[in-house]
Amino acid sequence: MRLIAGIDCGSGYTKAVLIEAAEGEVRVLGKGRVRTGVHLEEAAKTALGQALEQAGAAREDVAYVATTGFGRYSIPFRDIQVTEITSAARGAHYLFPESECVLDIGGQSTRAVGLRDSGKVKAFKTNDKCAAGSGMFLARAAKYLGIEVEQIGELSLGAQNPQPISSICAVLAESEIINHVSAGVSVEDILRGIHDSLAERAGALLKRVGMQKELTLIGGVARQRGMVKALEERLQVEVHVPEDCDSVCALGAALLGRVRLAAVSRDLAPEFAGAGESSPAAMPHPS
Amino acid sequence: MRIAAGVDVGSTQTKAVLLSDNGGVSITARALVDTGANVRKAAEHAFHEVCKAAGIHASDVGFVVGTGYGRYNISFGHTQMTEISCHARGAHFVFPGTRTVIDMGGQDSKAIAVGADGEVLDFVMNDKCAAGTGRFLANAADVMAISLDEVGPLSLRGTKPVKITTVCTVFVESDILSYLAQGKKGEDILAGVHLAIARRTMSLARRVPLEPEITMTGGVARNIGMVKALEEVLGQPLKISPDAHFMGAIGAALFALEKMDQSFESTIWRPEHAADRGD
Repeated sequence: MRLIAGIDCGSGYTKAVLIEAAEGEVRVLGKGRVRTGVHLEEAAKTALGQALEQAGAAREDVAYVATTGFGRYSIPFRDIQVTEITSAARGAHYLFPESECVLDIGGQSTRAVGLRDSGKVKAFKTNDKCAAGSGMFLARAAKYLGIEVEQIGELSLGAQNPQPISSICAVLAESEIINHVSAGVSVEDILRGIHDSLAERAGALLKRVGMQKELTLIGGVARQRGMVKALEERLQVEVHVPEDCDSVCALGAALLGRVRLAAVSRDLAPEFAGAGESSPAAMPHPS
Repeated sequence: MRIAAGVDVGSTQTKAVLLSDNGGVSITARALVDTGANVRKAAEHAFHEVCKAAGIHASDVGFVVGTGYGRYNISFGHTQMTEISCHARGAHFVFPGTRTVIDMGGQDSKAIAVGADGEVLDFVMNDKCAAGTGRFLANAADVMAISLDEVGPLSLRGTKPVKITTVCTVFVESDILSYLAQGKKGEDILAGVHLAIARRTMSLARRVPLEPEITMTGGVARNIGMVKALEEVLGQPLKISPDAHFMGAIGAALFALEKMDQSFESTIWRPEHAADRGD
């Protein structure tokens, strides 16, 4: 069995996805997820190891490794690296082909990607300059409110009278949150207010990449149902959330890796293909 | 002798200043309290403290001007002025040669172009994000587990400032943590942080004509590391008064003295206006 690995080394977590190299229907055979920490290569190895264990496969079975995410260049055993914009587009389009754009809310950045019918990137807007609108914004709010990040989504759904947060800056918003708390506003209403404000911020990015009726929401924050509801209500769009919302970029990277490997195998004479860094393209196709 | 007060209700601290005019204007007393959640109380507290410091009764104060973000919550003030006008006016009073004011406060930062009479010609402001504010430095201090007062002096000892590519307070926090994990020295990290903020502040300030003399005001002016970093980026010295922190309140008190004259004149010519003052 020949496998393709997609590894998304993000600021918070590193995700790995293994798919079969053979063309045709995509089969995900294994997944891994670890905290990134400071040793990026280690994190990538661990995540890949988890995925291999789940797939019941060995490291030698991996014919091609495609990396993405902020740490994509720090993984020396990669065959190719792709930007998280490209991998998000590819992964999301594979899961929801009808959806014309992708919103990826990660730990430290927010990206809106407009797609062509083919799933290629038409336009993108990103905020990676500051924590406004990112998962970090929510994580800090949770810390202030004394709740776990995992609770945010459900609590926000229970809001009766959401209180708006006007600050864009994650740090300045803390004062607003404190004011709300001291004014007796419920945690639910504060959280929904934060989700609403993030949805508005995302809406500004999404408009600029040509969002219409459908949106695929990926990244860890997609697990928060309150965020999904805020996007649906504020932006009047249908929001698709993949089951495994934070490994979509890893899946996208694997899909791109598969296409790439097939192209390399077809186009290059074996002697050239063998010259690449641990390129497995020279190996005979197992069919 | 006429006495006027300025109360500057900032996001973090509330400052009150009493000015007396006895032929020449001089600062009689200062008071500084934490603003906290109750803005109205903080203003009253600061005013009470400054009267106590001067040994006078609140009714001896002829006119009170409020400024700062909480200025509309001052129950006892006669009128309000923006902190931009007040910082310009205060800086001009202390350093008459001032043509630019850089004000770094608890939650915002501004650059103000000042005319020869202390009037505001132009200003730019960052109140959208915490970069370049006291809040930023307080956060950095927290992450390094040192007090805010230590941040500046420690940064001056840095010889190899680390590279800080973002000015987002949240991201810098993780930058600091990873530099600490790499074993970088605290002073080099802080030197890098101060330089990043100084550069960011200068790119904001360049949008007003940066004419000398440049006076720095606001609480961050007490941070020697930030002063030095700004001077390095600017390539010229900054005027820093020991009262830098009180500059908004001083400006407000100067406006109060002026208003007092106007309302005094109006009471002579049109006595019915005295009732409108509401005191």
